[in-house]
Amino acid sequence: MTKKILEICIGTPCYLMGASELIEYYNNLESRIKDKIELRTSHCLEDKCEKGPVIKFDDKLYFDVTPERLSKIIRKKTQ
Amino acid sequence: MDIVFEEFYQSVPKYSQEVCGDNVEIIKKNDKTIIVLSDGLGSGIKANILSTLTSKIASGLLEKELPLKEILSTILAALPVCEVRGIAYATLAFMVIDHNKDAKLVEIDTPAAFLYRNGKIEKLNYKEYVLEGKNIRESSFHFHKNDKLFLVSDGVIHAGLGGLLSFGLGWDGTAEQITRVINYNDFDLKEIIEKLVKIFMAFYEDKPGDDFTIIGMRYREKRKLTLWSGPPLKKQDDSRIVKKLIKSDGKKVISGGTTAHIAARELDRELKTSLKYEDKSVPPISEMEGIDLLTEGLLTLNKVLDKLETYKPGQIIIKKEDGASKLLKLLLESDKITFLVGRAVNESHQSLNLPLELGIRSQIISLIATHLKKLKKEIYIEWY
Repeated sequence: MTKKILEICIGTPCYLMGASELIEYYNNLESRIKDKIELRTSHCLEDKCEKGPVIKFDDKLYFDVTPERLSKIIRKKTQ
Repeated sequence: MDIVFEEFYQSVPKYSQEVCGDNVEIIKKNDKTIIVLSDGLGSGIKANILSTLTSKIASGLLEKELPLKEILSTILAALPVCEVRGIAYATLAFMVIDHNKDAKLVEIDTPAAFLYRNGKIEKLNYKEYVLEGKNIRESSFHFHKNDKLFLVSDGVIHAGLGGLLSFGLGWDGTAEQITRVINYNDFDLKEIIEKLVKIFMAFYEDKPGDDFTIIGMRYREKRKLTLWSGPPLKKQDDSRIVKKLIKSDGKKVISGGTTAHIAARELDRELKTSLKYEDKSVPPISEMEGIDLLTEGLLTLNKVLDKLETYKPGQIIIKKEDGASKLLKLLLESDKITFLVGRAVNESHQSLNLPLELGIRSQIISLIATHLKKLKKEIYIEWY
């Protein structure tokens, strides 16, 4: 099974707005879901810094992502 | 060849004590270095206050080049009296070494220094006399290029006392351990000190019966570092800065995500971002071929500045893997540092309404440079 790619922006604005919490959320995921995802980091995604933290999951961009939102996005797409 | 005087120390408090009763002060001046070690009577906070006062007064007076008699009488008059023992007391050792490598060492009630020369430890030649009722040992000597000198507090000499060894390590035993460690690893003074501290701790079975401190000194070749942070105002300067960085001698550092992207594009090299982050307040580091360290910009530089503000010369910083700790380590290990600073406004930061002092790269780098200059590093800043 090919893994879905989760890309988290770790540029200064996104990091300040909470990107580290998203990485932590990923690290604490139960292995059943984590195994289906490959995590990557980036210095900038699409120049949408004012809407950080920005992530790309399964080729779709999401803005203003919180760990709760990330949880919903991941669970919806990996069910 | 360009050489520089280097010194490192480590202090360990007595077992179960929070603070160390020994204190080290190192002052770097343009033409000389002053090193002071003091061991306060007893242990804990009282000893810490005694030794801190003693070493601070001594280093301050030495900096002003006052005569030894004046330094001693000032210290003896200023020290608070211990209520239990009715005496005011702290040991004192200090060394002043000038740019001609001529050193003067004075020891008062402290173990004799260890000079490592030609593969073995030697004792210095001392002149002994009494001043203000204290026995003084004084030695003037020329520091050779490959020499190493160690000063210790008596906690080192007593390592193992009553435990592994009946009478402790002693001066000869300590000399033997120092020789053994240097002969095993002559390369890095910091590592020599760390290794010796581990050995002394082992003699104490990890429960030191006294505060102990070891200071190591030597000459070594100067190290260079070039750091690039920030995109330049003029886009045509991109390739100029990248070339300058790549062609520079010594370590190469990039600090900033946008900056790293420019370097990757100009050099046509892959920029590998990492997932590892050790400290939540510092973004993860990245990697690129030919670059020794690649960190995020503003947050990392601010953290480096925070750490530099509390750094004491000669201190060995704790090894950590986050970007700010790694950058600080590289800066402290280098002697000639060039900052290439791009001043273009980073559009992405404008949306954040960052506090002024956090947001201005040029200001943060200037402050970092000021702190490094105080440590007598050669600093060059080029603005683009």
